[in-house]
Amino acid sequence: MPPESPTTSRPGLAVEVEDASKVIEGVTVLDRVSFTALPGRITAFLGPNGAGKSTTLRAILGIDHLTSGRAAIGGRPFREHPQPVRVAGALLSPDAVHPGRTARGHLSVVAASNGLPRASVAAAIDLVGLADIATVPFGQMSLGMRQRLGLATALIGDPAVVILDEPHNGLDAAAIRWLRAVLRALADAGRTVLVSSHLMGEVEQVADDVVLIDEGRVLAAAPLRELVGSDAPGALEDHYLDLVGSR
Amino acid sequence: MRSAWTAELVKVLTVRGFRAGAVLAGLALPLTSLLVVSSGGLGDADTLTSGAATGSMSSLVAYAAWAAVVAGSEYTQRTIVVSLATVPRRPVLYGAKVAAAATIAAAGAAAGAVVSLLVVAAVTPSGHRLGDPPALLGVVLASGAAAVVGAAIGVLTRSSTGSIAVVIAALLLPRAAAGLLGGLQPWIVGASPGTVVTQFVQGAQLAADHAYPGGAALAAVTMLLVALAVATLGGLAFARRDG
Repeated sequence: MPPESPTTSRPGLAVEVEDASKVIEGVTVLDRVSFTALPGRITAFLGPNGAGKSTTLRAILGIDHLTSGRAAIGGRPFREHPQPVRVAGALLSPDAVHPGRTARGHLSVVAASNGLPRASVAAAIDLVGLADIATVPFGQMSLGMRQRLGLATALIGDPAVVILDEPHNGLDAAAIRWLRAVLRALADAGRTVLVSSHLMGEVEQVADDVVLIDEGRVLAAAPLRELVGSDAPGALEDHYLDLVGSR
Repeated sequence: MRSAWTAELVKVLTVRGFRAGAVLAGLALPLTSLLVVSSGGLGDADTLTSGAATGSMSSLVAYAAWAAVVAGSEYTQRTIVVSLATVPRRPVLYGAKVAAAATIAAAGAAAGAVVSLLVVAAVTPSGHRLGDPPALLGVVLASGAAAVVGAAIGVLTRSSTGSIAVVIAALLLPRAAAGLLGGLQPWIVGASPGTVVTQFVQGAQLAADHAYPGGAALAAVTMLLVALAVATLGGLAFARRDG
């Protein structure tokens, strides 16, 4: 497990989603979603499968278009930032790498796309502990390795905002602990961290704020302690199931 | 834009299959020309230059299919998510993608044309004139245009295999269906990439109903404009759709 984590101090940028709606073939998948993820805090984005979490995260990054409303980072759409990977780094899908490309090759593409120095590739590989398999094709990597590469992709630009969709999937216990430390270090360094997860116990340990979404609507958006009203283990899960049901 | 273009080049360089495809497309010209010339396909009136361009159609199809596969793989492999998350300005990403395909195809075609000329010169009995080697520029232009169309179709179809069928049809249909085009035949067939190459290297020998009425240069301009139009269609679709 890599001992290092990104801790260089940089001002964070808020992620703002305002009245975001998206309709796909007549089906409303986002219904006036509004929330803000603040610098220096870890915001957990929770909801059952199909609730609209991934669509929202993709809309923030401009990968999916909104039907109405807006999503902005630092007050403007993500696409309007001149060096995007310095503004926001994202892990949206661990499989979004060509199977024939190595970790080094993949990160070289990302670095080149934003004019990052070559040294950033090696630094990102070291950060996530992939140095030993940096030349192995992605198609031969385990899910855990793929998640780490996804994290390296998100962090290579030392971004002000980190957006992670289900980053715990496929990670072993040691890697989850490492990820917890990385997320905390990022937030403590002033970054905005927005992370979706199904692991309530993990969220309870790291999150400062929680946004809960179901069927495309925000059910709650508040600081974690304010939302659950308790520090007791399992309180978030109980509250979550109360709000979304146990279906 | 330059960074995005560089990244698209790196995408090709970092996948063995993409690299091999580009090299094979470049080799298609000299290999096909060698096959034709060594089997006695060079007529008395043909020059070494026209012999070197004999296999140009195979190279054009190969580059178009290659570009379509590379562009389409962004969707089949879902790498478009990372591409858009790192270059979120869609016109920049798309423009870089198309420009990189054209760059690699044009550079590969230029190298392939030189190799083809050397190979044909080496295996052809003496007596044939050299012709006009700079006319092989037509191969370079047509390969670039074919790659632009291929990349655009790859983005439009979002499929590697599906896009291959479309680009092959787009390149071969004008000649195959020439008889059905009536008075439009010289305008359409004459501006198709394969015929543009032929007009550059052996214009005088081309049948009148295949020769573009405005000459080789205007045929090339028309071909490039058609490629630009297809690229624009792809760009519009790319801008409107979700990633």
